[in-house]
Amino acid sequence: MTAAGVHRPPPGAAQARPASWPALASLRLAWLYLVSRRAPAAVGLLAALGALLWAALHWNWSVAGGGAAQQLVPLVIETGAAAVIAVTTYGPFGDTERATGRWLPWLRLGTAVLLTAAAAGALAAGASGGHLSGGSLAMLRNLAGMTGTGLLAAAALGGAFAWTGPMAYWLVTEGALAGSWTTPWIWPARPPHDLGGALCACGVFAAGIVAVTLLGAGGPSRRSAPE
Amino acid sequence: MTAATSAPVRHQPPRAPRPVPLTAARLLRLELRRNPMPWILPLIAAAFWFDSYRPSTTQPPIWALRTFWNMGQGHTIIDFGPFVAGVAAWAGSRDGRRGIADLVTATARPRWAAQLATWAATAIWAVGAYLVFVAVMFGVYAHQGVQGSPPWWWVAVGAAAVTAFCAAGFAVGALFPSRFAAPLAAFGGFLALVMSSQTGFSHTSGWALILPTNSNGNYQPLSGIFYPYLPDLPIARVMFLAGIAVAALGLLGLPAGAGGRWLRRTAAIVTLAGVAAAGTAVGLAGTARLGPHGMVIPALHDAASDQPIRYTPVCGQSAGVPVCLNPAYRQFLPAVTAALRPVLGEVAGLPGGPARVTQVAGTYSNGEGAAGAPMTISGRPPVLRVPLGSLNLPGSFGGLRAPFAEQLKLLSLHAVTGAGAGPGTPAQQAVQAALLQGAGVPFAAQPGVLSMVGLPSWARATVAPSMSGHWPGPATGPVYAAARRLAKLPSAARHAWLAAHLGALRSGQLTLAQLP
Repeated sequence: MTAAGVHRPPPGAAQARPASWPALASLRLAWLYLVSRRAPAAVGLLAALGALLWAALHWNWSVAGGGAAQQLVPLVIETGAAAVIAVTTYGPFGDTERATGRWLPWLRLGTAVLLTAAAAGALAAGASGGHLSGGSLAMLRNLAGMTGTGLLAAAALGGAFAWTGPMAYWLVTEGALAGSWTTPWIWPARPPHDLGGALCACGVFAAGIVAVTLLGAGGPSRRSAPE
Repeated sequence: MTAATSAPVRHQPPRAPRPVPLTAARLLRLELRRNPMPWILPLIAAAFWFDSYRPSTTQPPIWALRTFWNMGQGHTIIDFGPFVAGVAAWAGSRDGRRGIADLVTATARPRWAAQLATWAATAIWAVGAYLVFVAVMFGVYAHQGVQGSPPWWWVAVGAAAVTAFCAAGFAVGALFPSRFAAPLAAFGGFLALVMSSQTGFSHTSGWALILPTNSNGNYQPLSGIFYPYLPDLPIARVMFLAGIAVAALGLLGLPAGAGGRWLRRTAAIVTLAGVAAAGTAVGLAGTARLGPHGMVIPALHDAASDQPIRYTPVCGQSAGVPVCLNPAYRQFLPAVTAALRPVLGEVAGLPGGPARVTQVAGTYSNGEGAAGAPMTISGRPPVLRVPLGSLNLPGSFGGLRAPFAEQLKLLSLHAVTGAGAGPGTPAQQAVQAALLQGAGVPFAAQPGVLSMVGLPSWARATVAPSMSGHWPGPATGPVYAAARRLAKLPSAARHAWLAAHLGALRSGQLTLAQLP
């Protein structure tokens, strides 16, 4: 007995894909990654949040108060969108995926950017329902900054609890708006064209993107989420 | 056949006690140990400090004012509820996310019972943390010497709200197991609470009173000082929130895999009972009316709650007149005596002028809220009765000492002229303006004082808008012309004229033309 013929595939076995299809393989990898992160469901939820913003503006759910109070309901919806993006970083495969996925950082980056863009589009469409305090520019700034808090929370706490980042930031913002704070770190309290607020929001978004791209969800300890 | 009768009797061994309570307790202990809620508590503690405690410290040391933000406006609920709902959703979605729902359905214990154990552990952590955080905050307040009594009923509302958020979030997670259950439950919690607060600003009566963050017109600043906090509305809110919690938990027992037929029927009854309790509470809130001491729900009201709280006043002197306040307002005594000194100096010795100043409890009305109670002069010797709680106390909600003093001067002189709860006759308005000028409030500043937020509606009625339509307009017109004439008199002459005409002025018989 020799092992001379074992390298040959058995009769009827499927043909291996030619190596000339790397683009297709990359697309398949990206799609599988997106599905593993429930990105399609996230896109559906972001569309629903856009519709909710449209309804809130169209039927004027913010019924009392000045400009700060008028921002609260849209801010909650932007917070919800950021929270949805943040929890897509949660991965069920853990070390197995990290040990084998050479393209993992790029997939994380692409997913976060794509979902943020989808959220911006959905909310911008929702903003057409009525008058949005600060306009679409402020909405984009707020969304980017809050998404950054969510991604940072994902890197620090894990994807399962990444939603706490935008929620906690909303809570701080609500108190700051009531107290008329003007620090650029509370960017929703700044005018739409304010450079300081925009820089802070973009900085937090960039930090979140970098953290989740390089570290992934779960932080350095990579501990699993508590049940 | 005798064998049967001669056979030894076999004693049945005593039955072992049913292991159910022990197993349930063990299950609960296991769930308490592996529950995710403790992970989120540091974040909630930070939010609680930032959003509930920190803003309250800017208020004067009176319980109803210190807790207006965190208990009255429900910020403790905002800090806890959405986070608790999110974590409860995560715990509730555990079996579904892990794909072991079928596995746990096949175990000896009904799935509903196991889910209730998980929920109970989550709720114990959440409500326990809420009570501990509130106890620490109240302990700090007590250490700071905050006056009055704590709003215990609102603490009960907060605990019920945390329980309800926990149940609702858990139900969302159990029925829609997904990674998105937690953020969506938290998002829903935030949205519900924001809408609740917003609705409260436009609906100060009716069904909206049931909303746990609606404080408008139902969290009286005098409660716990002159009379107890009325428990009517908190009881309705606890009923509403408990009903939501029960209904949400009952929903978990309705699916086919939750348990046997009887268990599912029980779950249906529990769900209906929860809905009925919540609906009844909404109906009760719809019958609420603002009484003199707070929000009254006739079906829940206990007359014993209207009994005033006894106290020994603290007193000072102002222009030789004793000024006595409730001890809870001790820190305001110097400001009150200083503000009243020029007023009492102007009216000293007049027939019917106040021989004593004493603080009285303000009463509440639908139109005016806390601002409707006027100062009055009555009794022998005459006593100026001052409902301080209706004024913008220095330090409360941004109130400053100078506007507080100006309001005190205005309202006390309004009482001296006998104008009562209305704007008064033109002559009374003119004398009030002249005396106010003598008490240190120039004519030019008086329209601004009369327009201050927190004053009764009659004050604004006496101020005309400016030519451009802005409030307040200038101090012009026949009333101010007469007031300027009176103010120009030498002090002794003005005092003599008042001594001769104060009775006629207070009875409304004087006209502007009769003023000197």
